[in-house]
Amino acid sequence: MPFSFFKSTPPHLFTVLLGYASPCGSAKAAVSPAARLNRPTGSRRFAPTLSRYRSAGLFSMLLFVMFGLAATANADEKPVLSVYTYDSFTSKWGPGPKVKEAFEKECHCTLNYVALEDGVSLLSRLKLEGENSKADVVLGLDTNLTAEAKATGLFAPHGIEEKPSALPNKWSDEIFLPYDFGYFAFVYDKNRLKNPPKSMQELVENKSGPKILIQDPRTSTPGLGLMLWVKKIYGDKATDAWKNLLPRIVTVSKGWSEAYGLFLKGEAPMVLSYTTSPAYHIIAEKKDNYTAAKFEEGHYQQVEVAAMLANAKQPELAEDFLRFMQSEAFQSIIPESNWMYPAYLPKEKLPEAYQTLIDPSPALLFTEEDVAKNRKTWTREWLKAMAN
Amino acid sequence: MKIRLGYFVLFILLAFVSLPLLSLFLADNSLGSAYRDTTPLNIWQDAYLRGVILFSLKQAALSTLLSVSLGLLLAWSFAHFGDFPFRTLILGLFGLPLVVPAIVAVLGIVSVYGAQGWLPLGSKLYGLTGILLAHLFFNLPLSVRLLLPIWNHIPDQHWRISVQLGMSRKEQWTFIEWPAIRESLPGISLLIFMLCLTSFAVVLTLGGGPRSTTLEVAIYQSLRFDFDPTQAVILALIQLALSVLLALIAARFSHLPDIDPDLNIHADTRHLSAHWSHALFIFLGVVFIATPLLAMLIDALKGPLGEVLGDANLWRAMGFSILIGLSAAFISISLGWFLLSASAELAYQKKTRMAQLLELSGSVIYVVPPLVIGTGLFILLSKHINVFDWAIAIVILINGLMGLPFVIRTLGPALRQHTQKYQRLCANLNIHGWQRFIKIDLPLLRKPLGLSAALVTAMAMGDLGVIALFGTPQTSTLSLLLYHRLSAYQMPQAAITALILLLSCLLAFWLLERFIGGKSNAGG
Repeated sequence: MPFSFFKSTPPHLFTVLLGYASPCGSAKAAVSPAARLNRPTGSRRFAPTLSRYRSAGLFSMLLFVMFGLAATANADEKPVLSVYTYDSFTSKWGPGPKVKEAFEKECHCTLNYVALEDGVSLLSRLKLEGENSKADVVLGLDTNLTAEAKATGLFAPHGIEEKPSALPNKWSDEIFLPYDFGYFAFVYDKNRLKNPPKSMQELVENKSGPKILIQDPRTSTPGLGLMLWVKKIYGDKATDAWKNLLPRIVTVSKGWSEAYGLFLKGEAPMVLSYTTSPAYHIIAEKKDNYTAAKFEEGHYQQVEVAAMLANAKQPELAEDFLRFMQSEAFQSIIPESNWMYPAYLPKEKLPEAYQTLIDPSPALLFTEEDVAKNRKTWTREWLKAMAN
Repeated sequence: MKIRLGYFVLFILLAFVSLPLLSLFLADNSLGSAYRDTTPLNIWQDAYLRGVILFSLKQAALSTLLSVSLGLLLAWSFAHFGDFPFRTLILGLFGLPLVVPAIVAVLGIVSVYGAQGWLPLGSKLYGLTGILLAHLFFNLPLSVRLLLPIWNHIPDQHWRISVQLGMSRKEQWTFIEWPAIRESLPGISLLIFMLCLTSFAVVLTLGGGPRSTTLEVAIYQSLRFDFDPTQAVILALIQLALSVLLALIAARFSHLPDIDPDLNIHADTRHLSAHWSHALFIFLGVVFIATPLLAMLIDALKGPLGEVLGDANLWRAMGFSILIGLSAAFISISLGWFLLSASAELAYQKKTRMAQLLELSGSVIYVVPPLVIGTGLFILLSKHINVFDWAIAIVILINGLMGLPFVIRTLGPALRQHTQKYQRLCANLNIHGWQRFIKIDLPLLRKPLGLSAALVTAMAMGDLGVIALFGTPQTSTLSLLLYHRLSAYQMPQAAITALILLLSCLLAFWLLERFIGGKSNAGG
């Protein structure tokens, strides 16, 4: 379309806009009924009253938009593997950039991340997108979500032979493969909090206990983990436990990164995170004042997993990525960027700081079927407890 | 032909609203929801739903009470203080919140009252306190601007008589001012109540925790957090019932208040006595409105400008915002144009009822909240397509619909008058269709056209509602980007984004009003 077209009378402006308003975004749409009606007879003589300069200003704005869109639509020649994950994975300090670099070296492809707030959002998003999803691989669900995820029928078997893992329990699953694991814990600053609670019971029942930051179980896997942790310990009395805890919850954030960010800014003395989080402060910041509070009842276990989608556009690349995820190249990135226990790296290869972390045993865990059956009900129970 | 086009637009509007609604009613209730067994009868028994409904009403009622009572105090002070230097400037400042996007105002509120702000309220800000502050920021100036003209409508002889009778300030209030105000109060309160009940961006950012969630935010959460369409449908239907109820109540008042742009003093104010407390109230009002904007500006200028401006996401989001704004304006103006010309034609033929119906249909969005339509569309479309791919198109359509009432209000009166004047002439000269639009209508109606284009564009650009439902990091607008920065507590970056959003809205408004509307009074 020549530029002079844009410079004619305003009705064209509208038809051009309509072209872009149409979701197909093709130039064809610009030939709207209005444009066909716009015979030059009357409009040309009228044109001078609506100054051309003014329209030109608007049109240059439009062109800007058009080129902006064209630029984003520019496709790369290499095949693109699309991985849906949570945002702390893809952040500058997370494992994302290093994993991308290492994988792209061997795959001759482009690895694209789509980052959501946290793990539970991943599953919701996939359900919302259904079979039309653009994801090839989803990385960041956990064992509390796997049964529910399988039931959607959106995932494909990975077809990769079993491999001995470092997980506490033997792993055998034809769809999901683990990449790391950890235990939920409340992390605090020893300089600020002298008497941390020694058990979940103390945290819940001590009315003058420390304030905490937690995550929403509807979006975040640590949030979901805490909900299950409390459920495991309190059973039917979980609602009362939450009501007890409620006055000391500073905020319920959508994802882990927000809550941890607020904790580091000093908004609350304790935050829900992992037993492995202090390793970050020891290794990256050379600070040993952050530590996890060990609870007598034990800590809830989380295994983070990935899987490929049944409708993946790049099934071979997706499988390659899952294989790569089990390799040492990927696994050795995890301890010092995702700050979790890698699933396929022997204990001896862990950084030294990991030896100083608290022992989370006994590990608490619901079966994936139990969680799948009850997650909605328990979440609603949690919502009701928090709403009062 | 004109009338047929009008009916056609009416049909499109009805279809666009009723199809999503229908899909809500017919939604598949078996999708693994925790609400499988909910019926209208036991909604109230559900503690979560009950909490959400009660909180929605509570925050709206409190916001209305605060905005109207404080607004009354301020309007009273303005009326009594008479003319003073900066009066126009201050009232202009009070007009600003009407054009500031909600999400930008939220950022301003956080900059002032947040943990690192000038007047830290601590964690109390997130919840009812913050929501009330933000709603007050928007609705206090609105109520002042709605109430102030009332003083102009009080006849001068009332004041003279009151002085002759030696009435005290209290007696003046009881016998002269209050009776005049009392009449408009229900209408103004209802308008503000409706605005607060459907406010989304404010509650999403400052509330949203399980304790402070309104229906609109709960709808968003059930779709995006829980993937529980059934719950979303229930909530959307409750919201719909509430809005319809309010619309019915509103219909009982002959007319809802209109914003009177003329805030000059016409009444003879010599008889009104000024008091130092009036000045104090005005000063406090100015401080309350100005500080959030000022804090945002200062935070933005101190922030990492280079980092934010160098981010490609920002520019892509800006492109989408501009695209959405301009396209939505195009849609509302063309729909509005066809509706209004048909309505004017009908009125010309003395078919008043049909004319009114057509004009009224443009305000359908007041009855069916945008988020309810969005939810319906989401459920209707998600089975067939990846709704996230179509985000921008859907957002444009719904924003276009949201702009329609404004087009009808700004363009309607002018077009009606214009038709009365030129209808016969055009018929005589056999000028019709496209030619008439270009030669006759457009030059004479440039001003209202430009104003409505500017209004709708600026509003759609700053809107954070439906885009939150459909947007993704790849299809983010400036307002959604700002929301993400805010919820990640990246305050310096958020302040800059807010400033850019505000400036682009104002710039778009100014450009469109000038370029389409023209400098001089072209008529209309």
